Amino acid sequence: MTDQILISMAATIAFAVLFHVPRSEYLLCGINGAVGWMVYLFCISKGTGTVLASIWAALVLTLIARILSAVRKMPSTVFLITGIFTLVPGSGIYYTSYYLIMNELEQCAAKGMETFKIAGAIVLGIIFGLMLPQSWFNRLGRVCSKK
Amino acid sequence: MPESKVTLNLAISVGEVLLKSGGEIYRVQETVSRILEAYGIEDYHVFVITNGIFATVYEQREDAGSMVRYVPIGEVNLQRVAEINQLSREICEKKCSISEAFERLEQCRNSYSEGKLAMIFACGVGSAGFCYLLGGRPYDSMVSFFLGVFLEIFLILAANYHASRFLMNILGSALVTAGSLLLFAAGAGILSDKVVIGGIIPLVPGVALTTAIRDLFNGDYLSGSIRMIDALLTGMCIAIGVGGVIKIFQLMGGGAFLL
Repeated sequence: MTDQILISMAATIAFAVLFHVPRSEYLLCGINGAVGWMVYLFCISKGTGTVLASIWAALVLTLIARILSAVRKMPSTVFLITGIFTLVPGSGIYYTSYYLIMNELEQCAAKGMETFKIAGAIVLGIIFGLMLPQSWFNRLGRVCSKK
Repeated sequence: MPESKVTLNLAISVGEVLLKSGGEIYRVQETVSRILEAYGIEDYHVFVITNGIFATVYEQREDAGSMVRYVPIGEVNLQRVAEINQLSREICEKKCSISEAFERLEQCRNSYSEGKLAMIFACGVGSAGFCYLLGGRPYDSMVSFFLGVFLEIFLILAANYHASRFLMNILGSALVTAGSLLLFAAGAGILSDKVVIGGIIPLVPGVALTTAIRDLFNGDYLSGSIRMIDALLTGMCIAIGVGGVIKIFQLMGGGAFLL
């Protein structure tokens, strides 16, 4: 479990470097990515399946990104883009084309559908996360900057 | 030049950097409008799409100004987005004169970003990490690390030749797949599927997907659709690169390379 946390953090920070995130935010990006991945793994272990797990993880990621953005006075994109990479269905793309080439069309269709469903799930998760009014987060940011 | 035009030039230049570095449409629109307001321009119109900004000020007056900027989709640079955010906040608090703002913008354009070596290393770490997270063994993620490193080197070289993004995605994923299958065929004992998945992660359109959603959510349907199509096509390009190489290996090996 610890290895999953540390590695998802390292991988997210690697993407933070690739997207030129300001250095002071590397660690927070990493934590956001790790939390998202933990939520994903937790949901999977409860038997929700990949789609529902992606929705929950994307939702939590978006909320944390918005909280961090209010507290750190950074655009929320900084935390969202880097964090979301742990959820993007890279393996789905691979298996879809693999089964297509192997002419196992049934498997290919199933994997292709799953890839689209996961992408859709991420969309839904982010949208649910964006629905909360910005003023709540602003208030949180003001409380934190007073301290 | 009348002052309205100088202000418009500043606002739209700030917007250009922001849009190019990966800011969302509504953020760009908001930033440009706020800067214009902060410098006392009341009558203005700003229209932003994924690859262009259009703005006019004081259409009915003598000192009317209008500007159009074409902004091709560029490399994501979140540091610039953050800096511009800070700059526009200061402008709105009237802490920054126009000439100062131009200077800050110029600094921001040339701001330090991580060097190529750091990028190459980061790409390797990202690939290795995802290979492990998605079920690879430490040994597989080590292989994935090197494929990630090669991929980033390839992408940097290809960018020098202004290769099209389609070609870069197809060739990039093909490179990763070929590397993994060659090692597998040489008897390296890797889980080649996990290695490939880790290796192609840097190409996967996570940014395009996220930005598309945010644009659509804010009601910028045109820009959101452009990004969404971008994400879809990138995904397809990766699939073509991976699939093509597997097919070639399959034909060459007569099935001996079945994974």
